Amino acid sequence: MQSVHQFLTRVGAGFIGWLKSWRGILRFAAQAAVEAFTPALYNSATRSVVQKQIYFTAWQILPGFTLFAAVLSYVLIQIVVTTARDFGLSDYALEVSIRVLVLELLPLLTALFVALRSGAAINTEVALMNINNEIRALEEAGVDPMRFEFTPRVIGGAISVFALTALTSVLALILAYLAVYGFQLWSLPDFNRVMGQVFTPAAFVILSLKSLAFGLAVTVIPIRAGLEAPRMMFFAPIAVLRGMVRLFFVLMIIEVASLALAYI
Amino acid sequence: MADDAERRALVDQHGAAALVSETMPLRANLSVLENIAIVPQYRENLPYAAAADLAWGLLARLGRTDCAFKRDPALTCEERFVAKLLRACILRAPIILVDRPALLLPDIHYPPFLEATLGALEGHYQTCWIVDYAWNAPLYPPR
Amino acid sequence: MERAPVPATLIRNLEFKVGLLLVGTLVLALAFLAYVLHVRGVFEPSQELILVADDAEGVSVGMPLSFSGFPIGRVSRLDLTDQGQVRVHVAVPLKSARWLRESSRFTLEKGLVGGAKIRAFSTNLADPPLPDGAERSLLTGDATQEIPVLVAKVKAILANVEAMTAGDSSINRALAHADTISGRMAGEYGVLEGVLGGPDKARKIVDALDRANSLLANLNGVSLKVDQMLVKADQRVFGAGGTMDRTDQSLAQVNAILADVRESLGKADAILREAQAAAANVNAITADVKGATTDLASLRAEVDESLRKVNHLINEINRKWPFARDVELKLP
Repeated sequence: MQSVHQFLTRVGAGFIGWLKSWRGILRFAAQAAVEAFTPALYNSATRSVVQKQIYFTAWQILPGFTLFAAVLSYVLIQIVVTTARDFGLSDYALEVSIRVLVLELLPLLTALFVALRSGAAINTEVALMNINNEIRALEEAGVDPMRFEFTPRVIGGAISVFALTALTSVLALILAYLAVYGFQLWSLPDFNRVMGQVFTPAAFVILSLKSLAFGLAVTVIPIRAGLEAPRMMFFAPIAVLRGMVRLFFVLMIIEVASLALAYI
Repeated sequence: MADDAERRALVDQHGAAALVSETMPLRANLSVLENIAIVPQYRENLPYAAAADLAWGLLARLGRTDCAFKRDPALTCEERFVAKLLRACILRAPIILVDRPALLLPDIHYPPFLEATLGALEGHYQTCWIVDYAWNAPLYPPR
Repeated sequence: MERAPVPATLIRNLEFKVGLLLVGTLVLALAFLAYVLHVRGVFEPSQELILVADDAEGVSVGMPLSFSGFPIGRVSRLDLTDQGQVRVHVAVPLKSARWLRESSRFTLEKGLVGGAKIRAFSTNLADPPLPDGAERSLLTGDATQEIPVLVAKVKAILANVEAMTAGDSSINRALAHADTISGRMAGEYGVLEGVLGGPDKARKIVDALDRANSLLANLNGVSLKVDQMLVKADQRVFGAGGTMDRTDQSLAQVNAILADVRESLGKADAILREAQAAAANVNAITADVKGATTDLASLRAEVDESLRKVNHLINEINRKWPFARDVELKLP
């Protein structure tokens, strides 16, 4: 009896803790979003943090990631085009590859890449800041850590994910054109028609919202995970682990939700 | 100060005071100069160049410009203390509390160092209180 | 005051790089938005065409309307009328609208694989152009719907083929019959025997023809006698009054009947010639026999008819002719 009671208490406490941490994430995201649209946020210090975040998250990886995305896109497009030709469905090859790459794969890949790189870094840094009491120290020095450290990172992360997605997507579109029609401009009307079919207003809105949600998740969840960790050194790895796992699931949920919105 | 509880009470009592304490570290990924400059940058929206000039001036007063671009782990105790003090100083808080200087400056005879440093910063702060335990009182020169 | 040296930061031109990235992304995004709006025809004036269909399954917004394989318009909206019909609104850019004419037809085709296709057919490009907001019916042709019917038909055909190839099938029997027929054709009465199924039946036809011939001869005799009667009984006829007209009519009828009979005999001759030709040409036998059979049947009917008419005429004459008893008109 005693053990059952303990078990139930443990389960309940675990669930409540889980709920609390998700509520914390949502509240934090909302706060960051609201602050992002507060002009008072932007001063010389926060701007520099935003700039650095964009620099580290987007600019630094730009050549490598673009190259990777281009190669992946080209290979995938070729596979789709060749397979479609074999089945006599060439008409649909372009549309399918654009849908798969631009609407689904590239945003998700970008978010995953940024999550693995910058998300993990932010998570660790925030966890260490929290453990070292640097956050309190900033407050003591008259600098609001939320405004100085966190919101700018969220903004920078979201902008970075959006920029990377946009760049790689446009690149993928160009590659898709080249793969399907070859190096000439006569097929532009055909291409335009397919583009018009794929990018309906709904698809455009869903893509933008998804990109935004990815960008927010990639920074908000690691920051929250870092802040949530108890202030003891050995919790740093646990905080990073939790943050990363949570981030992975959130990215997948966003992707599935966007698919559900678009196709159901 | 008699004991830790009393010290804590005093620190809490002066919430508006800028605290120079062992528990209030510098931002680890910023240099000393940036750590100091960030305060006017954030609070007064000063451009980085102006804020850095301000911080540089303060460092120059103390003759510590050589550590301006070092980060926390590379600093000696004195340099770290100076950085924290200047960060508090540039905030222009009415009171600066130097909490347990023995912890911040373990390797030197700190009262004369404190006196010299604060003397060099004369005019850049209003009041500076040194919070230390009663048993360290003999270290300080009688007033 | 002493100036801070330019910090030897890790990042050179941070602001410039970030600014470049931001502006680049923004320009890219806006350009892409403008491009998408352009390809969706937002900046292009277009006219509307409404296609009414009973079932618009497979039609979706954004689907192209193609003409000769080129997309010239796009489905912009779908709605359902109170009558349960689907109204497909198609936006056709003005520059493509010249392919649509008053006489244009629109079809919805669904293939086995892939989506449906709306196609326009304009046979006469000289017709007046289709006005804005025109309503046309959308003809549907669905390959998938035809499949069950097609399968059923194929099954029936296979069953037929099986029945045909069976040992006691009608084809086999027909072939056997054809054998017998050709055997009979080799007999005394040739094709006639083959067609009619036996020498006695063929003989009957020949007899009928003979009888018709002798009837003709008799009729000639009758007309001679009638002439004599007319000479003899001139006065009586006129005395009786009114009979003369009717007799004239009867005579005219007799002449007509004789012409008929002659014609029938001519036909019989032709058919016999035809049958002979058929017998010579074994390859074309079936078709010719068929023709000969129908012709012979009609010939028989004609001969019968002639005989019937002659009978009728004689009855008539008997009735009208006061001294008919004296005339012995015998039909063979």
